[in-house]
Amino acid sequence: MLDTLTMFGFGPEGWGPAMLRAAANTVAVAAAGFALGGGLGILVAWAKIAGNAPLRWLAAAYTTILRGIPDLLVIYLFYFGSGLLLTPIANMFGVEGFVSFPGFVAGMGAIGVVSGAYHAEVIRGAFYSVKAGELEAATAMGMPRLLKFRRITLPLVARHALPGLGNVWQMVLKESALISVTGLVEIMRQAQIGSSFTRQPFTFYFAAGVLFLTITILSGLIFNRLEHRYSRGRA
Amino acid sequence: MDFEFLGQTFLKLLPGIPVTLELATLSLLLGACLALAFAVIRVRRIRPLNWLVIGYVYVFRGTPLLVQMFIIYYGLAQFPEIRNSFAWTYLREPYWCALLALVLNTAAYGSEILRGALLSVPRGQIMAAQACGMSGFLLFRRISFPIALRQALPAYGNEFILMIKATSLASLVTLADVTGIAARIIAETYRPVEVFVAAGTIYLAISYGLILLVRLAETRLNPDQRDPAPVARVDAARKEVTP
Amino acid sequence: MNQMTPHAQPDPIQPSAVSVRGLRKRYGALEVLKGIDFDARRGEVVSILGSSGSGKSTLLRCINMLEIPEAGTVTVDGTEIALIAQRGGGRQPADARAMDRMRARIGMVFQDFNLWSHKTVLGNVIEAPTHVQKRPRADCITEARALLDKVGIADKADQYPSRLSGGQQQRAAIARALAMNPTVMLFDEPTSALDPELVGEVLRVIRALAEEGRTMLIVTHEVNFARDISDTVVFMNEGVIEESGPPEEVFAAGNNTRLARFIEG
Ligand SMILES: Nc1ncnc2c1ncn2[C@@H]1O[C@H](COP(=O)(O)OP(=O)(O)OP(=O)(O)O)[C@@H](O)[C@H]1O
Ligand SMILES: [Mg+2]
Repeated sequence: MLDTLTMFGFGPEGWGPAMLRAAANTVAVAAAGFALGGGLGILVAWAKIAGNAPLRWLAAAYTTILRGIPDLLVIYLFYFGSGLLLTPIANMFGVEGFVSFPGFVAGMGAIGVVSGAYHAEVIRGAFYSVKAGELEAATAMGMPRLLKFRRITLPLVARHALPGLGNVWQMVLKESALISVTGLVEIMRQAQIGSSFTRQPFTFYFAAGVLFLTITILSGLIFNRLEHRYSRGRA
Repeated sequence: MDFEFLGQTFLKLLPGIPVTLELATLSLLLGACLALAFAVIRVRRIRPLNWLVIGYVYVFRGTPLLVQMFIIYYGLAQFPEIRNSFAWTYLREPYWCALLALVLNTAAYGSEILRGALLSVPRGQIMAAQACGMSGFLLFRRISFPIALRQALPAYGNEFILMIKATSLASLVTLADVTGIAARIIAETYRPVEVFVAAGTIYLAISYGLILLVRLAETRLNPDQRDPAPVARVDAARKEVTP
Repeated sequence: MNQMTPHAQPDPIQPSAVSVRGLRKRYGALEVLKGIDFDARRGEVVSILGSSGSGKSTLLRCINMLEIPEAGTVTVDGTEIALIAQRGGGRQPADARAMDRMRARIGMVFQDFNLWSHKTVLGNVIEAPTHVQKRPRADCITEARALLDKVGIADKADQYPSRLSGGQQQRAAIARALAMNPTVMLFDEPTSALDPELVGEVLRVIRALAEEGRTMLIVTHEVNFARDISDTVVFMNEGVIEESGPPEEVFAAGNNTRLARFIEG
């Protein structure tokens, strides 16, 4: 027990600071991917709701494919795929060997593209649960399209989407553990490093689990607050 | 895109399909049994198991599957007690470790789905069963569970798809499932696009097959929502012969 | 049948508040409005009666262009909304901004209120004045409170719509429409989504507006109410105006059998 405390302490021998830094990386890459996915999701949801036939078809293909293919494969595609683009360029400039996006960028891209499919479904569902009459009332008051979107549609959709977005965020957080395969030192990768260094895999992976659990609990609390705050006036 | 390479890759990936399918089927079946037990414990508030299940679900849904799998496969080896026990025959094998992690993981998610479904069974229908003299396990088996199952099926279908995707993590504990083979080919050839397309197609095909199965089950389980047309046609035909 | 002789003659000096000419609207094969001509003077209260499906809602929705008519013109306060032909049939507004400006001058009250659920009652009332008319927020709030007082729900200003009864929601919706100080108010069956005991409070508010001299077009099934407050009653049937005139005339017995049947219920 005491050993474990020193091991994760902040002393010169301690892994504490490294694990915390890794946790910050996990949150950062997950948040970046979540944001990217949110942007993608809005576009794809818009294509599904208001697009013409080819756009709708593309959007449907995108969501079906990305919800059916393992995230791990998408991460490999982004990591090694970027290498396909970057390596020849780097070699041209005299850099030898395999060059790819840094793990952070590849991971963010992969998480963004995967979560975009889930975002899109959440946003689309939220849009259809908004009462059409409330949107029509805005038109009838003479609100121009953008104003109506900003003041009425967006807030109403956001309120309906918030619980679903909370779920997507939790999913993204947990999927981010897979980014360790790119070598990005997030929680999982740091735990691997620690366990091979100390030969105490259980201790390190358990610590990783505790860190993830802390993050998911905290973000659950935050989303609950947000939901509470933005659901005022809901029946 | 190099179609010849794509075809070769596809062939190389085929041996991974049984591994993926087996992991998915076994973990879903075993996981569903555990999930049902957990759900009943939660709904019936069987103390103190109730609290254990709440904690279990919280932890397994709050941490990544990869962490769970690594704790089981790499982590447990840290303890000599385990290494010397009979369980080691299984726990040293990546296959059983991956399966165990998948089962425990899906049981947590599944129990929440089933719990929600059990709670959504209308009180009135249960009271009607009680009025007929049903109670206990009979009532559960004949009334509550079938109604809950129909309720749970769409969400559980989703869980099926997620589990097929989740089996790919087994490749990170050295198993040669579809993703594991794909990763090896990518590392050997540096041709991620073709490999992604080939492996992705396989996963999509599996998911699609599963969706069809779930749909089939849904129509089988919900005869009232089935297309009534054939019955109507029979009626119409009968009317023609009656003067 | 006096369908072609509108009751309110256009006044060359003071233009009609609303003037509709040759309005046609179809949904697929179904022609819902088959050429409507119709005028409402300033300050006139017009009730529109007619059986279900006769096209009353569609007429109102064409007036503020929530539905775009295939043919005919709508003129509000002397300004016609220009519609241009669209590729592949149908028409579209020539100038979306002009259409929005016109809509801002038409207040619409819906059958099911359509209050914005993410805003308080006060938030609903000041939304368009502050963001469409871009008037100072403080003025809008003062005015909004006065309007809420007028419709009798001043105490509900800071509540969210879901906490209000149907009658209170409809009165809030009326205040929201009034806040734009519209040239004309359109009411589409404002009381038919309400429990019977709540109908009275909404009708009282509308009656007060009528007495103030607001221009109003009211689709309603409340025949007695229509007879009481209207300057003109319009009876629609199957997409045409079948009767139109002062209530005493239109409701005179034996005038139109279909109307008589409608009044009988
Ligand atoms: N968006 C639409 N698409 C297709 N048909 C429509 C649409 N809106 C209305 N209709 C049809 O047009 C006809 C007239 O509808 P409208 O709502 O104007 O009638 P109404 O006189 O207001 O009837 P009610 O008293 O029931 O409200 C009806 O037959 C209706 O089914
Ligand atoms: Mg109507």
